[in-house]
Parts: sequence; C-alpha cells; structure tokens
Amino acid sequence: MPDAKQTIASRAGRELEDGQIINLGIGLPTLIANYVPEGVDVVIQTENGGIGVGPAPEPGCEDRDRANAGNQPITLVPGGSYFDSATSFAMIRGGHIDATFLGTLQVDEKGNIANWIVPGKMLAGMGGAMDLITGAKIVYIVSEHCSKDGASKLMKQCTFPLTGAEEADVIITERALFRRHPDTGWVLEEVATGFSLDDIAGCTDMAYAVAADVKLDAFGA
Amino acid sequence: MPKNKVIPIAEAMSHVKSGMSIAVGGFIGQGDPLTLIDHLKTMDVRDLTIYENDAGYRERGVVELVRQGKIKKVVASHIGTTPEIGKAMNEGRLEVEPTPQGTLAEMMRCGGAGLGGFLTPTGIGTIAEEGKQIIELNGRKYILVPSLKCDIAIIRAHAGDTWGNLIYRGTSRNFNVPAAMCADYVIAEVENLYTMGELDPNAIHTSGIFVDAVVRANVEYCTLREEKFNA
Repeated sequence: MPDAKQTIASRAGRELEDGQIINLGIGLPTLIANYVPEGVDVVIQTENGGIGVGPAPEPGCEDRDRANAGNQPITLVPGGSYFDSATSFAMIRGGHIDATFLGTLQVDEKGNIANWIVPGKMLAGMGGAMDLITGAKIVYIVSEHCSKDGASKLMKQCTFPLTGAEEADVIITERALFRRHPDTGWVLEEVATGFSLDDIAGCTDMAYAVAADVKLDAFGA
Repeated sequence: MPKNKVIPIAEAMSHVKSGMSIAVGGFIGQGDPLTLIDHLKTMDVRDLTIYENDAGYRERGVVELVRQGKIKKVVASHIGTTPEIGKAMNEGRLEVEPTPQGTLAEMMRCGGAGLGGFLTPTGIGTIAEEGKQIIELNGRKYILVPSLKCDIAIIRAHAGDTWGNLIYRGTSRNFNVPAAMCADYVIAEVENLYTMGELDPNAIHTSGIFVDAVVRANVEYCTLREEKFNA
C-alpha cells in the first residue's frame, strides 16, 4: 500500500494552477509543496507572517526567525517577504488567498468542517483555520478518509464544533476526490487505485452523487 | 530629542501587578519575549490574563507561568504546542478562551488604533459567534468583535533604538506589532540596541510612539535551537 499521506498530497498538488497564492495547513497539507507540478508556479503564504515560502533550508542553516506556522524552518524564494499577523490576516480574510489546504477531523454533507476541538478530549485551538476557511477562494480538505478507529470522516453531519460552516469545496482522501456544487452537493469525481465505487460507498457516510464521467484508477500507485 | 526609554528590566516589569491583562508578542517561540517572561517567573504576581497567539512552545514561554499558577486565563488561537495548557484547563487550574488568530490580531490592532471594534466574517456559523452580536451588512453576516485594551504588553524585537523604534526579523514580527499597539504600558526586549538615529527611518516596523520601556534581550535566545524548548 502506498503511503496515504503522500497519495493525498500528490493528488492535491495536481489541483494547483500557475500563479495561485496558496496557504498550506500544518502537517499533511505541508507535504503538497513537494508535489507542485512542473511548469506550475505557486506562491505559498504562511499565516505567521511570510509569503513566498521556498524549500526547507539546508541542515545547519535553520534560523529561529524563519519558520512556518508549524515551527518548521523555511526559506523564502526571491520576491518573498515578511509581515505582521494583522497584515497576514488582512490577506487571508480579504480574499487575497486563492486556495487553502487543511486537514480535518470531520467534514459533512453541507460542507461543514470540524477540525479544532474534540469536546472533553482535545483542544488544539482553531489557529488561523477559521479565517482561512472564511477568506480563501477555494477550501480543500486533504485528509485520510477514515479516522484511526475506522469511522468515516466524511459524515452526514459533523458532531464536533465547527471550524467553518458550508465552506468545504473539495475533499481529497487517499481513496477518492469529491467536489461540492452549490446546488447539487458533493460529487464523486475520482477513485484512487485499489478502490472501487462500492468501496467508497462503504466508507463514506455523507450523501454524494457519482459523476457521469467518474474516473477510476485516477490517482495513487 | 525623543526620550531615552532604556531602563532596568526590574523597573520596567514593576508595572505588572496581580490581576492585570497582558498582551504577549510572538508565535510558538518565534519572537517570544522570553527575557521578560523569565523575569515574570521571579515576580510575586498572580491572576494574570494573557492575550497571545499561543502559550509558547513545548515547555518555554507563557506556559511556564501557567505551571507556576500565575495565570488565571489565556486567550489564544492555538494551544496545541504546549500540552501543559490543555492539562491545566482540564484540571480546572486555567481558563482558556480559544479565539481565531486573525480576530485576535485585529482585536489588538483595533485597540491600539482607537477603534471600538470591528466586523469579521470569520467564525459565522461556529461557536465563535456565541454571545456575540451578529450584524448583517451588504448581504453578508459579520460578528461584531470589541477591540482589546490591555494593561501591559511584552514584546521582542531584533533591533531597537533608545526611543523604542523597533525592527523585527523574519517571521518573528507576527503578533509583536499588534501587541505593541494595544496596551497602556509596553515593554520591548531588543536583541540589538542602537542609539537614536542609527536605525534607518524607512525600515522601522513599530514606531517608538507605541513603546514605553526598552530592555536588553537575553541574546542566548537569538539562536535558540529546537531542543532547548524542552528544557
């Protein structure tokens, strides 16, 4: 089995369009930077105060004052710059970010997203996610299809407190890709190698339509 | 000539009293005012309310003050990098108010800018809107967020002059800029101290108008490595 996270990041990378300004969440979404297709130039914003994020620095060249929102050392590409948090969120809320890629605990039929708290168990905080979900033009949920206990993360209705209401536009898991249409809801467009339409139906709780031209073996190894 | 605001750290920090609200600059260790936090660790104060993006990183930062029982409440966007905060909250030793990152930054900026509050679309349809006034404007719903004024702000800069003009470095600028604007008494620790006129006026990120006291930062923290945060 190929690594689920790499499969998701690699498929998400193919969504990128030349010239886009994007923000990548902590963890899995950060991997997408490794899968930007050749010939596509994107500019990466990091909400702690940088734009034009480049490759990780060479070992020994890390700098405490140059890091992303997950505290990983970064470099900037030529043309990149730094700014304060109020300015950073002016960019984010102000609609200047083309796409944001976020992990999740739950996402549902209406496009609701829940990824910052498990009541009584875990409180990470929403960080910049609520602002990113509200402000970015396209909201990508990049996440494993099921939680560790095997339950579908793609639910009829989120049970945890929401990070954003009706904001998810695309879901990419290691098994499938869904796109949400304002009128008709979620549409299954792609199924990953190793999975059938029945497999997806069996592990997806939210309602969705299957695209007429649904692609099987669409991604993954 | 503008006033020289460089004073001993103990004199600057003597403005902090029990029960006060403190805005803290930094972002999970990037630009955290660790020199001032270290000094706060030695002071006999309690019931402080902290407004900060987070509570530090692993075992360093405001989290140390929480461990000491000095903090009543933390208003932050993210506490996932300091496990002690979640533990203190669950054990009833600490109140935590999660606040979206952009909302927190703007609360500080607005407080310093003399604005009563602002309208943000962030958090509509979530528990962030609970207890808040919702205002509909031009067909879109917004949460009315009151601005923030704190008693004290503690921040860190890469360079500063004796009047408190400040220059930050890299992603360490973050919440230091808005935090500097929102408090009655603002204390800046600077890694490199210059006399007035030495810093390029075109390069100043925070004007000295916002700053009340300047102290020297512990330079050891300029090169703090990942592993030091576990100490």
